Amino acid sequence: MSIWLKVLYAAISVSVATVYGLTLGGIVRKIYARVHGRFGPPVWQPFLDIIQTHSRRVAVSHGNMFLLGPVFRLAGGLGTYLFIPVIFGSALFSNFSMAGDLLLVMYFVFFGQLGMALGAGQGGHPYSPLGIARGLAQMSTFEVPFSLAVISVAIQYNSLNITSIVAAQQGSFLNWTLFTNPLAVVAAMISLLGMNMHSPFSIVLAPQEIPIGPPIEMNSSFLGILQTNRGLFAAAKLVLFMNLFFGGATNLLEMVAKTFFIYMFSVFVGAAYPRFRPEQSFRFFLKWPTIAGILSIIFIAYFGGTS
Amino acid sequence: MISLYTLILGIALLLIGIYAMLTRKNLMKIVIGFSIADTGTHIIIVSLGYLRGKTAPVIDAAVSVSNAVREVVDPVPSALVLTAIVIGLAVTAVMLSFIVEMYKKNKSLSIDDYQELKW
Amino acid sequence: MVSPIYILILSLSVGFLLSIFDRAGRKFSLTAFYSVLTFNVALMGDWLYRLAVLHVPTFVINTAGFNAPVSINLELGVAEALVLFLANLTGLMAAVYLFDKFREGKVSSLILYLLLVMGVNGLVMTQDIFNMFVFLEILSISTFALTTLKKNLKTLSAGFKYMIAGGVASTFFLLGVVFVYYFAGTLNLGFMTADQFSGIGLIALFLLSVSLFIELKPFPANGWALDVYQSVDSGIVSVIAVVNSAAIGFAFYKIMPLLPSSFLTAFGMAGIVTFFFSNMMGLKQENAKRLLGYSSIGQMGLLLASLVFTIGIEPAVRYLIIGGLFLNHLLSKAGLFWIAGIVKEEKIRNWGVLRNNKPLLVLFGLFIFALSGLPPFAGFWAKWEFVKVLVDSKMFFVLGTVLVGSLFELIFLFRWFTMAVKENADELEPMASPGFSRIFPVSFFGILAAVVSFGAMRCFYGSNWLQVLPVIAVLFITLIDSLPSKVKGFISLAAVAGYGYYLYPLLTGNIQLFFGVIFIAGSAVNLISTLNRKNQSKGFYGFLLMMIFSFGNLLIASTYLEFFLSWEFMTLSSFLLILRGQNAQRASLMYMIFSTAGAYLIMVGFSFAPALSSTAALILSIQDVNLPLISFIVLAIGFMIKSGSVGVHIWLPEAHAEAESDVSPFISAILLKAGVFGLLLLGIAYVSNAPSFDVFYWVGWIGVITAIAGAFMASFQEDAKKLLAYSSMSQVGYIVAALAMITHLGWVSALYLAFNHMMFKSALFIAVAGIYYRTRTRKMYEMGGLISRMPWTYMTVLMSIIAVSGVPPLSGFGAKWLIYTAFITKGWYLQAGVLFFASGVSFLYLYRLIHTIFLGQLKYEHQEIKEAPAWFIIPQYIFLAGIMAISMFPNLIIKPLNAIAMHYFDSSIQIDGLTVMSELGYWNGNLVMYVTMAVFAIPFIMLLLLKGKTQKVKQFNIVYAAERPESPQTTHVAHNMYAHLRKSLGSLSLPRVQEFWNSVAEWSHTLGAFFRRVYTGNGQTYLLHIILYIVVMYAVMGGQ
Repeated sequence: MSIWLKVLYAAISVSVATVYGLTLGGIVRKIYARVHGRFGPPVWQPFLDIIQTHSRRVAVSHGNMFLLGPVFRLAGGLGTYLFIPVIFGSALFSNFSMAGDLLLVMYFVFFGQLGMALGAGQGGHPYSPLGIARGLAQMSTFEVPFSLAVISVAIQYNSLNITSIVAAQQGSFLNWTLFTNPLAVVAAMISLLGMNMHSPFSIVLAPQEIPIGPPIEMNSSFLGILQTNRGLFAAAKLVLFMNLFFGGATNLLEMVAKTFFIYMFSVFVGAAYPRFRPEQSFRFFLKWPTIAGILSIIFIAYFGGTS
Repeated sequence: MISLYTLILGIALLLIGIYAMLTRKNLMKIVIGFSIADTGTHIIIVSLGYLRGKTAPVIDAAVSVSNAVREVVDPVPSALVLTAIVIGLAVTAVMLSFIVEMYKKNKSLSIDDYQELKW
Repeated sequence: MVSPIYILILSLSVGFLLSIFDRAGRKFSLTAFYSVLTFNVALMGDWLYRLAVLHVPTFVINTAGFNAPVSINLELGVAEALVLFLANLTGLMAAVYLFDKFREGKVSSLILYLLLVMGVNGLVMTQDIFNMFVFLEILSISTFALTTLKKNLKTLSAGFKYMIAGGVASTFFLLGVVFVYYFAGTLNLGFMTADQFSGIGLIALFLLSVSLFIELKPFPANGWALDVYQSVDSGIVSVIAVVNSAAIGFAFYKIMPLLPSSFLTAFGMAGIVTFFFSNMMGLKQENAKRLLGYSSIGQMGLLLASLVFTIGIEPAVRYLIIGGLFLNHLLSKAGLFWIAGIVKEEKIRNWGVLRNNKPLLVLFGLFIFALSGLPPFAGFWAKWEFVKVLVDSKMFFVLGTVLVGSLFELIFLFRWFTMAVKENADELEPMASPGFSRIFPVSFFGILAAVVSFGAMRCFYGSNWLQVLPVIAVLFITLIDSLPSKVKGFISLAAVAGYGYYLYPLLTGNIQLFFGVIFIAGSAVNLISTLNRKNQSKGFYGFLLMMIFSFGNLLIASTYLEFFLSWEFMTLSSFLLILRGQNAQRASLMYMIFSTAGAYLIMVGFSFAPALSSTAALILSIQDVNLPLISFIVLAIGFMIKSGSVGVHIWLPEAHAEAESDVSPFISAILLKAGVFGLLLLGIAYVSNAPSFDVFYWVGWIGVITAIAGAFMASFQEDAKKLLAYSSMSQVGYIVAALAMITHLGWVSALYLAFNHMMFKSALFIAVAGIYYRTRTRKMYEMGGLISRMPWTYMTVLMSIIAVSGVPPLSGFGAKWLIYTAFITKGWYLQAGVLFFASGVSFLYLYRLIHTIFLGQLKYEHQEIKEAPAWFIIPQYIFLAGIMAISMFPNLIIKPLNAIAMHYFDSSIQIDGLTVMSELGYWNGNLVMYVTMAVFAIPFIMLLLLKGKTQKVKQFNIVYAAERPESPQTTHVAHNMYAHLRKSLGSLSLPRVQEFWNSVAEWSHTLGAFFRRVYTGNGQTYLLHIILYIVVMYAVMGGQ
């Protein structure tokens, strides 16, 4: 396959994911509004937001790193998405997954977060580093159950290759990791709550204490780039979870359906639970989901799992 | 072959001397204790060389060269003790001179007053 | 050939004539006095040469024209000649030292001194035990009298206590002599045999030996000696501590063949007990001379123990051990006592005054190092061989006691040394410049210590010049020390390059080459940053070169001893480098203590190892060695101390942080790798001959716990260098854990990490050095917003932290990919989980580092600050180039590492073009780089299109708390940044390990303080100790 065709495919894949991710964001806003007793904005509101932020007259900048923050962020989202094979068996949606395996994806996630943190840091507003400090600490804790789940999956399928992991789950829905290694899925899904930063783990953006946290100084087009990334990045994470734990997808529809329900899990939890304080959140992740992760490794590694 | 009585006497003196050194607080008395112990030692030495019923190890009219070995006491301890006495004397003398100097500096003869250096 | 009897005759006759000479003037008496002493030395030197080199037979003098046993006879063999030569030499030097006193004092002192010397010579040579008593008394009486050379209450009371103790001891000796005569029928040692004494006859031997032993000051019957050491004039004390002890020790040595083994064991043990307790009590001592007294007593105990415990081994080794310990004690103790007399400050805390006199400070250091058994001094070789002997004869209790005792000694000696170098002495009266007669003996002994040590090294081990290159480097730099710092820097750089060039063909194994790059090339680049030094930096480059050359010598060391020698050179030089830091007194001491504890373990570990059959470098030949399990355990702990593993890590942050800022990169990026190199050495031995117990499984756990603990502690630091130090600890934890897997992929990842860590940690430390150079602070919350002032440094830090964190596309990700794959393939799942956690936590400290320094609000005082000097920027970018190269083309490093690891294991990865494939997954670093560049370019171009509408605003153009802030201090989020995390970790965040070691230190000092209470200062109590000691020894020996 020529490199240009590959690039074209990647562009299509990214566009689909972005549009899907943004729509999902719209739906979430709608759901939250209904839970709060409002009608809420239309589902396409995220698209309108992006247009309106980009059409601002000036973009206030605090320096070069501040400018680069959103760039890093979007590059992180793009990269993360591009290193994941989205649809099993589809050349169009295989992206650049030949560049590396699951570990690459896990670490590329940090690319955007780190860059964004640096950009926000130059913003000079105290709420940015406060939010980042909370976010980093929370990230380090929810990564524990998630990485335990990943290790467990890697043992289970004897592979870190996402395509192979998806391939191994084909055949019946009973082959999904959800059913063959449920403890790992429990651990991973709880850490997904942290990753998505919905309540009870919304300490990073925490509108009451540190209004919107890290991106507080982001404005105009910078905010637009971040919003675009929010859609894409959400899609990337969901696809990764779908691939690892829910049998992947063989077509676009299956992908949309599965990721929607995966997302709804954190949305529903978020709508129903109040926010933790930071230290509560950290402790939580290091307790139950971590135990679940360890048990799943013991279960898989020393008892051979169910299969 | 050992003169048991003198040996016991020597050991007793030695012990008395050491006891005195350990219990008397007065510097002079400690030195006296040392002298007693020293004397005890000398008596022990002599008694080890003394052979009952034999004569002094001096070859003269009473003891001929040929039968000296059978008739005289062992001369070596006696010779040793002479040296030991001289040395003991020297040590005692140095001790006493120290006491004089110490008394000049501190106006005290009690050993308890000389424990500034410790630990 | 002049008969040695003339020493006795001349000393005695001149001694008596001195008072007559003195009538003619002090000049005459002094001339006669020093002539006799010089004559003694020359005569003994001549005899030593004849006996040892020309191998003439032992010389026997029969007095009064009769043969022994009828007459008293003297013997002069090699041992006697050596002891007497050194004793007379020390006597002469002490007399030179006392020149002023002798010139002004009474002539009686001269007479007494000559008598003392005669007593010493006679005691050593005589073969008659009663004669021994006489000489002992001559020696004692003249010493008693000489104690009052400086007459005051202290010397008088100390002298009196000394006399009581000495008097009683010699009374018992006399009894012993007579009883021995009673049983053996002779007074001549040559005609006695051990079987003449049985049953009650043993009491005779007991009295004889125990009273001599008492004279050698065994614990606890030695309070009198300490008082003498503390109060009496330094010149005389040096004679008492060295010359008298040597003579009495030799007398003990002469009667040793008569003693039954139960006696000998008891005396040996008593020696060990003395060594241990004196050093422990020394911990608490603050008076300089009394401290030396404790050390002296301890050394004599060790010497006696070595006399006993080396019976029956090969004579050459035995003489090396005894001779080495004796020589070491003699030279350094005499030297230290003399220095103590020059300094005059009683409290060791006040020894900062020594800094006024640099040469004397150097000599002081020299003696301290010698006494602590560091190379190249004699004590080092003796200790090495002694440990080997103790291990071979399975005397583990003795071994442990000796090592712990030695560690105590090292602690108080080095504490003293660091006080002299660092402790504030501004308010003290400056030290008067000492006269020639005082400086000369000290310098002479210092030089002698060095020369003799080199001689011993060459004779016994035939080591080549490369082994001593570290010392040559120091000497060379000392010669050119008056040049400007930059010149010396360039010379050093050239020296390192030359050394690398010379070393290169010697590095035959790939593994050596790899570490050669880390040690030598890494050091060379780091050296560039030292070129920024403005001041003279005296001594700095010497120690630096010493350290770098020791690193290199580790690679080519072909025996355990060579390895250990280089290891100790490295420890010593790095200690001296760290000590140069402004507030590094505590840090360097801690470093030295931990390093030495580690070194002792390494020494023990190597002593257990079987002999090497090959002459190749140790790192290559170790795979043919079947190390016993105990070696594995002990060596692993030793090397882990050096690499700062959790539990023994507390030296690490202090040492890294307090070292000068251009030294820290060496300490962190390179020195820590020496520990890694050691563990790798062990790992190679493990691959071919694994012991029954899986040592490395536990090493692996320690490694991962170090990784997580280091990361957490780094997150809570306010000091940039401490943060980096803990980060190093964490990173080395990764390396250790990866090494411990003993798999192909594990080793590839360990070496990859080691290389990567060397580059980014050097770059980061140099960056922080540049920042410190400009801001003069290491506290990160005092900085902020420096990105606009120091953009080049910012770029380094940014790239480096990406490389640390493992975020693609930089080289750090390769390390993460390798290590997790390795862990999962190895089956160490939970360990991998912990590492993931550590890796997450590392983002905390990395963000903290870059944010609090470079982002946020710029402080007003930093508004005009400049970029770091070019000397700091250049090495940073060399390292960055390295990072970029291996990020872009990981094959550059993966392939050679694969080859290295394949030497020991089957390869577990395949390299297909630019993709590395493992059992589990794959990674194409090159493609990742391109994709990243592309995805970065898209939004970046978008941003450039927006250029027209962006509007740069000034600092504080924000709204916070409903107003525009104006104070950077209150707006910059920096101090205690992760308070919430600390809160949630609860008791886990407390410095438990620190507390543990603090309490260990506290307890040792308290125990020392407790035991030294036996020395009440009361002469009668001391006498009681002696009597009880004799009783207890009798019970111990009778019971056996």
